[in-house]
Amino acid sequence: MSRTILCVDNADRVSSVAAAIDAEETFEAVEATTVEAARTALDERAVVCVVTGYELDDGSGLEIARAIRETAPQTPCVLFTDVSPGAIDTASFEEVLLEYINRDLPDARDRLTYVVDDVINHSAQVGFLKPDDEEERLDALASYDIDELPIQESFDRLTDLIASHFGTAIAFIGLVEAEAEDIVACHGGDWDRLTREDTICTHSMLQEDVMVVEDIREDKRFSENPHLSNLGIRSYAGANMTTPDGHVIGQVCLIDDVVRTYDAEERRELQQFAETAMEVLELRQSVLESRAAPAEVGQ
Amino acid sequence: MSLSTAEPFSAGDIAPDGIDSGTSILLVGDDSDALESVFYRLVAAEEDERSVVLATDDGGRSVRRALDRQVRGARSRSSVLAATGATGEGVEPISDLADLTKLGMSYSMLLSESQQETARFRSGIFLCSSICEAVDDVRSVYRLLNSNFLSELRRGEGIGVCALDTSSDIGASVQSVVAGMKTSFGVCIEVEATGRREATLTVSGLAGVDETLTVSI
Repeated sequence: MSRTILCVDNADRVSSVAAAIDAEETFEAVEATTVEAARTALDERAVVCVVTGYELDDGSGLEIARAIRETAPQTPCVLFTDVSPGAIDTASFEEVLLEYINRDLPDARDRLTYVVDDVINHSAQVGFLKPDDEEERLDALASYDIDELPIQESFDRLTDLIASHFGTAIAFIGLVEAEAEDIVACHGGDWDRLTREDTICTHSMLQEDVMVVEDIREDKRFSENPHLSNLGIRSYAGANMTTPDGHVIGQVCLIDDVVRTYDAEERRELQQFAETAMEVLELRQSVLESRAAPAEVGQ
Repeated sequence: MSLSTAEPFSAGDIAPDGIDSGTSILLVGDDSDALESVFYRLVAAEEDERSVVLATDDGGRSVRRALDRQVRGARSRSSVLAATGATGEGVEPISDLADLTKLGMSYSMLLSESQQETARFRSGIFLCSSICEAVDDVRSVYRLLNSNFLSELRRGEGIGVCALDTSSDIGASVQSVVAGMKTSFGVCIEVEATGRREATLTVSGLAGVDETLTVSI
């Protein structure tokens, strides 16, 4: 299956960039020669990566990177240019971290295709850290037939109980996928899916013990995140849902709109709720598999 | 460019069997002098290698001297991106530590230039906690680590050391940040100064190394 790479550069350069990309058989290059044309292409096509020069007729490569951050933040961007970093105007832009490749290097074309392939395969420009067992963790999550399991009512009851027990505004159970967290059940909120970069669970899942953020306004991992403030989140506590093989696939969380602390006993109880949620998932999956097994034998 | 089955990188008494190419090392502790000593021991380039260091608190010349003290001649095999001090041979300036867009591009350029001379590199950030202090949003630092630091280790023949001073006020729970970073780095070395010239290292993730070892600093 080919992957579409948007190549943006001046008219006299863009073809050579596209040719380098097209040389890799799984890539399909699409060309644009202006910032405006690049914006249009991003709107119209499913692009998995953007390669851009710096000096364009109607702007700069950093404007392309900014457009990507606004419209498709998970799409990686590679700046392929002979302009040195020192000569690039970054002051006019808020942070738009991207890959930089000096096209004057002798191995620039090889480096370009290698880097593009790598940033696509590893989602290498995301603003969160991934656990070192990320691939196995995602495989473990995929092994549960979430859509087929009758877990909704159980999880709804559980989040009602958790919110009532702790007296928080919101309690939810979320499963953390590659790019987003799916909120499977939520008491007190109408949440469905949150980009992984925007969730506190992205950080919480990296800790063995319960993670508490008493006041997100005092924590620079979250204080500048408008999605969290828009959701009215002020304090957070999250406990891991861990598979029998040791992979963290989800979180059981408490959210409040006021600053809160959680003592050791409350943290222990939240962890127990997370273990209960995991047991529900395990049992439902076991039942589903045991029901499917005789049918397969009979075929 | 391709991943290779490279020879391990030497690391003296910290890792007698060496450190495999591609290894990312998180170095944490609350004594910056002790951290610095262990950092330069890991990052100083041997003869067929180059060092690329992002220095937030020291000048480039000071960094190059520190590398040379660990491995004779390492100074001439180094490129430093420095936030303080004068520029000069092998030293590029950082004008704004919070401008991670430029920082990331400059770091990538130095690393790719060093790979034109030799494939093997030792890269390092000293101190990542200072970058966290400088920025408003720590997610930017994670993006920098993903885009420029960890990815280069995956693609090339090198090791990378990221040092974090746990006594810094990074605007977030240091313990929580370190706990998160530990899971993304292959190796974690906790440095505790136990005397004027001695430190205890608690090492996790490094094959063939005792969990705790005492080193001179």
